Amino acid sequence: MKKTSLSKTLALLLAVLALLSLAACGGSGEKVIQREAPAESAGPDAALTSENAREETAGAGFVFIHQGVRVDMDAEASAIVAALGEPSSYFEAASCVFEGLDKMYTYGGFELDTYPTDGKDYVSAVIFRDDSVATPEGVMIGDSAEKLQQVYGDPSSTAENLVSYQAGNMELRFILADGVIASIEYLSLAAEGD
Amino acid sequence: MTGEKRKSRRLRVLLSAAVVLLSLGFLQRLLSPKYSTELIEGGLIREYYGEEKDHDLIFIGDCEVYENFSPKVLWEEYGINSYIRGSAQQLIWQSYYLLEDTLRYETPDAVVFNVLAMQYNEPQREAYNRMTLEGMRWSGSKVRSILASMTEEEHFLDYVFPLLRYHSRWSQLKAEDAAYLLKTRPVSHNGYTMRLDVRPAENVPEGRILPDYRFGDRAWSYLEKIRLLCQEKGVELVLVKAPSLYPYWYPQWEEQIEDYARENGLLYLNFLEMGEETGIDYSRDTYDAGLHLNLYGAEKLSRCFGRILQEQLGLEDRRGEAALAARWQEKCAAYEADKQAWLASLSEENA
Repeated sequence: MKKTSLSKTLALLLAVLALLSLAACGGSGEKVIQREAPAESAGPDAALTSENAREETAGAGFVFIHQGVRVDMDAEASAIVAALGEPSSYFEAASCVFEGLDKMYTYGGFELDTYPTDGKDYVSAVIFRDDSVATPEGVMIGDSAEKLQQVYGDPSSTAENLVSYQAGNMELRFILADGVIASIEYLSLAAEGD
Repeated sequence: MTGEKRKSRRLRVLLSAAVVLLSLGFLQRLLSPKYSTELIEGGLIREYYGEEKDHDLIFIGDCEVYENFSPKVLWEEYGINSYIRGSAQQLIWQSYYLLEDTLRYETPDAVVFNVLAMQYNEPQREAYNRMTLEGMRWSGSKVRSILASMTEEEHFLDYVFPLLRYHSRWSQLKAEDAAYLLKTRPVSHNGYTMRLDVRPAENVPEGRILPDYRFGDRAWSYLEKIRLLCQEKGVELVLVKAPSLYPYWYPQWEEQIEDYARENGLLYLNFLEMGEETGIDYSRDTYDAGLHLNLYGAEKLSRCFGRILQEQLGLEDRRGEAALAARWQEKCAAYEADKQAWLASLSEENA
């Protein structure tokens, strides 16, 4: 009886280990520890002129457009950065450990941030710095919460001073202070996990 | 079945099981990252267990401790025997459980916690979790730390059997995986990782506007747990903000920490505001534009901090203890050798 129990226990242990390995091998996701690659890279064609951003970007996420240069979240950054011209300031931050640099380009009224994946940089965020720039839909820092509601409609989520519109793999965030927009941010959700 | 046959069958089963388990163990060891020459930060936590555990001072925190404070300077100049239990993006609950873990082995006079980690209220990223958690020895503290740290995509069982997580790493195996299959190499100097290159801090951006500057409830609860654990064990808790210029340390954050320290009678030092005392020159003392200090900066900071620790906490100068001094003599030699290797490699690069 004792021997049978031992054999059964061992068989069970081995079966569990085998099953666990199989379960792991059969997993759907490739479990490599690295930054998640963007779902779609816009590539060099990302820097395009657009007359009607709202229609063009419907369903694909909100897009920031500055002087004809279109900035999609998770688009490859090199062409966009080249099209935007010389930044007024540039800063790069290495992560504590991983290779590659998060880069921050500051232009007139906004900051463009990028994150590295597989040797290339992709757009992770556009942060408005002042009221010299506006979203393609015509909203800028200093506008009222009422205008925000009129232009963008019901948000995906709200919390405290934050109004958020999620579309595709990006988020357009408005931070309010005393009923007025204090900050506008286009954020890649793919980059946020980093 | 005769007794002999039964015995033989039992032996075969045991042998088969042993072969399978050994093979799985070998595979697990082979496929798991070694953190010995690449991503060395993943090797920091495990190194502590090989130490003689009679430290006066333990640091807990993220890269702002293991890149900015030099235990060697604290020893050489003040006779303080210290160790850094830090890892990359070490979240506050990971620091708490590492403290719990450390106190199983020793009771230092003081614990230093770097408060930047208060900014995170939720689990962040698996790769960082793994570098902190995999190096911990199994204990209740490790289990609780894993459970507190896992992102939605992670599974507890993957920490118990890392093979489940790393089975697909076979195609990425490098020379390091063979070289350090059985034994790893030291990656730090009492938890400190050294850099000697220089990159001046320029154009450091100001912080973005945040919707809410209050630290999260979870972060607060773990800070309180750290304080209470230290109190229970009779350990002095010191809060610090290392002089890293980025990520941005908001005045609103500073105010909350100052209030907490005052209310609880804790020593809090914000080294960002102590430039005169530390003497840090951001054009020479940082290797990555102000995020972390290089060796020159870390030694300046440690010199300043050691003086404060002696004056305010009265930490004993132990340089007269023969056995400890002998251990540190070896450690200082290894530190110096590492420094010379860095200098040689930099001069080669510049040649």
